[in-house]
Amino acid sequence: MDAFETALVRLLPRLRRFAHGLTRDAADADDLTQRAAERALKARGQWQPGTNFDAWAYRILRNLWIDTARHRQRRDKVIAPAEQAENVGGPGEAEAAAERLFLMRAMDRLPDEQREAVALVMIEGLSYAEAAQVVEVPEGTLTSRLVRGRQALTRLLSGGE
Amino acid sequence: MAEPIDEAMVVAWVDGELPATEAARIEQAVAADPLLRELADTHRAMRARFAAAFGPIANEPVTLPSADLILFAEARAKRLRRLWVPAAIAASLVVGLFIGQIGQPTGVRDRADALALAAPLAHALDTQLSGEAGRVRVALSFRAQDGAYCRSFTAAHLGGVACRTGDGWSLRYAARGTTQRGAYTQAGDDPARASAIAAMIAGEPLDAAGERTARARGWR
Repeated sequence: MDAFETALVRLLPRLRRFAHGLTRDAADADDLTQRAAERALKARGQWQPGTNFDAWAYRILRNLWIDTARHRQRRDKVIAPAEQAENVGGPGEAEAAAERLFLMRAMDRLPDEQREAVALVMIEGLSYAEAAQVVEVPEGTLTSRLVRGRQALTRLLSGGE
Repeated sequence: MAEPIDEAMVVAWVDGELPATEAARIEQAVAADPLLRELADTHRAMRARFAAAFGPIANEPVTLPSADLILFAEARAKRLRRLWVPAAIAASLVVGLFIGQIGQPTGVRDRADALALAAPLAHALDTQLSGEAGRVRVALSFRAQDGAYCRSFTAAHLGGVACRTGDGWSLRYAARGTTQRGAYTQAGDDPARASAIAAMIAGEPLDAAGERTARARGWR
């Protein structure tokens, strides 16, 4: 593997985590991650060494998801999410999966732009500046989406509407 | 006096995004005001909750997609199929078959079942999902234009494309295995195989859900 592939392989688990935040579905997240990795490999000539590789790769996955979601909306998705059980492995894993599912259902209620801001900062731990780079908006725009997303989540998670 | 403190500033403070002087100012205000403190605690707890719930996902390994998928997409983009043998013929042909060693009389025989795959290979094609580790690695699954399920694979000495026919898997394309590289070596790196897939395929390669469904039906 060359340096590019090494960087991509190292980042893939985090890209897949971000995909969980965006898609709120384990199977969709796996699929999106694979497609984003393909696209990154094919588009490797477009990455400029010295620029932020992580932000570049996150951006690829995020833009791919926007295309997918738009396409799906047209098809009017009514299929219930199938494989939500996820892998139930070690002790506590079932509880962890249930907790994740609960948070994903809350994220379902957010507008797309707030959801992606929440996923990038609260799940991925990106700085505001990095998150703004991924979404390609000014930092102030990103932070106001983030704050509104968090306000909505606070209401949702405390049982209110 | 500095500007009043709003929720956005508390959130930025919780997220560690403020310069030191500003952070100190918020910290003091939060310490002095129970309502601000409650707000800060709520945001800090929520961030920790998301991080804890999603964090473990990043510990699960993910492999790069197979080279077949990438080469296949490129091959199709270049419209290589136009240069290819018409699909109906291609599907019944074996392209570039190099099994056994040159000079030894152990080649493929002219028999109806000559290209049926041996049990361990067939078993892997029956059961493994694409990308799973093993002595045999399956790279890509798709439906051929004749309706059969086909899968590309790499084993220790042989790589190829096999399609489900009748009771077993028969080889449609094969090439001698190349030298092994790192654990993340993408199965194949064989542009001719990608072209063969591009010539045979109907529609898109199966995604993970499609593969599971096809496997559950025994690839029929």
